[in-house]
Amino acid sequence: MVNSTTALLVIAWRNIWRNTRRTVLCVIAVGIAVFFIILMRSWMDGMFNGIEDVVRTYDTGHVSVVSKQYNEDQEYYPVQFPVEEEESANVLINKIENIKGVKAVLPRITSYATLFDSTKKHALVWGVDINKESSINHLNLTEKTNGLIDGRFAEDDKNECAIGITMAQKNGFKIGDQIPMKMVSAQFSDKYWSPVITGIYKFDYSRFDEDTIIVPIKRLQKILGLNDATQQLVIFADRTSHSTVIRNELTNLLSDNSHITEWNENYWVAMFQSMTGIYLIIFAVFQIVAGFLIINTMFMIVHERIKEIGMMGALGFKRSEIVIVFFLEALILSMLGAAAGAIVGGTGSLIWSLYPIDMNSLTGGAMKDFPISGTFYLDFSVATIIEGFLFGVIITGLCTLVPSLKSAFIQPVEALRR
Amino acid sequence: MKKMKAVIIFALALFVTSIIAQDTPDAATILDHIDKNERFNTIEYTGEFTVEYKGKTFVKKFKAYGKGNDDSFIEFTNSEDRGTKYLKKAGRLYVYSPDTEQVMLISGHMLKESMMGSDMSYEDTIENEKLSKRYNAVISGSEIIEKRECYVLDLTAKKKTESYPKQKLWVAKDNKELIKYELFALSGAKLKEYKLIRSEKIAGKNFPVESQLKDLLRKGSRTVFKLDNVVIDKPISASIFSMRNLER
Repeated sequence: MVNSTTALLVIAWRNIWRNTRRTVLCVIAVGIAVFFIILMRSWMDGMFNGIEDVVRTYDTGHVSVVSKQYNEDQEYYPVQFPVEEEESANVLINKIENIKGVKAVLPRITSYATLFDSTKKHALVWGVDINKESSINHLNLTEKTNGLIDGRFAEDDKNECAIGITMAQKNGFKIGDQIPMKMVSAQFSDKYWSPVITGIYKFDYSRFDEDTIIVPIKRLQKILGLNDATQQLVIFADRTSHSTVIRNELTNLLSDNSHITEWNENYWVAMFQSMTGIYLIIFAVFQIVAGFLIINTMFMIVHERIKEIGMMGALGFKRSEIVIVFFLEALILSMLGAAAGAIVGGTGSLIWSLYPIDMNSLTGGAMKDFPISGTFYLDFSVATIIEGFLFGVIITGLCTLVPSLKSAFIQPVEALRR
Repeated sequence: MKKMKAVIIFALALFVTSIIAQDTPDAATILDHIDKNERFNTIEYTGEFTVEYKGKTFVKKFKAYGKGNDDSFIEFTNSEDRGTKYLKKAGRLYVYSPDTEQVMLISGHMLKESMMGSDMSYEDTIENEKLSKRYNAVISGSEIIEKRECYVLDLTAKKKTESYPKQKLWVAKDNKELIKYELFALSGAKLKEYKLIRSEKIAGKNFPVESQLKDLLRKGSRTVFKLDNVVIDKPISASIFSMRNLER
């Protein structure tokens, strides 16, 4: 059986080199499709990973806890609905930090502020424990740093703040200036304050660089009348895969007042994940188009070799063996093309992954509203190359089944008469 | 005989029309009534407003003084806001915040902001000019509101800079009291809704001591204002309306 298959393989291999030009064209067509798929996949994975990193770093951590009412109105960042549990926020943080797999629990408050400045009228104020944040995350995801480019972040409980580079440039703010602003407290009171700028940061994320003022959470809690309450608890896991387990633990620990979400429930992450299926369909269409060249070639080969098929039948070849010979020819063409595409695509994505892609200049700032850093890298992965190769072989192979099967329905006697 | 009958009918119609005309004042007269009812030389009161937003209730208490059109002073007395003061002087609005211990001028885009989380904006508080000076009015009909017969007035701003280019007022026919009004944007979108809850006769005026304002751009929000100890036209020291008093 093995010998027979090997013999058929040898026949198929010899057959494909009977017309070298045709073989090369088929290989190139399949190769281009696989190359394109691998490169696009690396691009998308790089972009999606960038979005996931941004969402986890700035918005949700691996698991996020807010109050149910806050969750309903979260686009307005209301401070009137802090996390409300029986324990104080600090006790709750300690409890959550004791859950297995939890790396850190960070309290955060985000709120809108109206600035007295007439150039920049509104800003987001981000109240965080900046030391803890910096120790858990790279706040500049592109350069893997804390993002500070001048001065220092605000000290705990001080009337200080750090602002983004774009905000500083657009408004002419510099270190030592005050930013007078109005915020609305948890009791719906107007709160006026003027933190002093002590640092300028660049996170390479436009929402922050343009719109966000970072202040110490303790100071913001006082200003907003929250005492030690917090608007959000952001939980970071040792590993992303621990998120679901931690979420389940939190569901048992917290009351119904709290709303718990995993990072992948974030709108943008869920949307881009759902788009993966659409991209797979697009890739399949590319591959099928390339496969048509092989289908066409196989039909021509079957037609050209009709007497030869008759001869094979007369010599005692079974129908299945004749089909296998033609199928193996098509499969070898697919594999050669897919291998060539995988090598070129893999090399391309490896080289490109070393150079940053500046999304801001590429899209003219159109990605500003997306949770993505201004710069991202292609995601080079061996798995993507293997996937691209297999995708090319399987789709093209399936396409060639029809012409291969055609050879099985040719009667030897009729074939020899032609 | 026929001629005589026609003359009598004509005279009767003229008489009835003149009676109706006497009973239905024109829109400008109604606006004058509203303006007169809300004009005073000085006013002093304690008040509170209750903000209801998304199932939460916040009560703010304050002491307020006013003099003519231009000067007013409000000091908040509830625990969360104690020490927060607002001074309106010569068309400018200043705030003193105990958090920063400094006086700030609220101007430009800041005036559009909600005051103390209420449904009222700073802009609403500083606009004191008479309605009859700011708007052209027409009577568009009559309706029964809260079991009271009302004239319905459509107001169109005389100036393009007016915060609310259109207003619709419901004015009680019996005492020309403003029962309800709605404020509109230029596009015709309804922005705010005011409703009188209770008024009292103070110094010969029907003074609105309890009312409700809804900012329709804030989902699920309303503010109820209650005024107590209202004293009208009693002399108030000029020092109340000074920057020094604001900073004190």
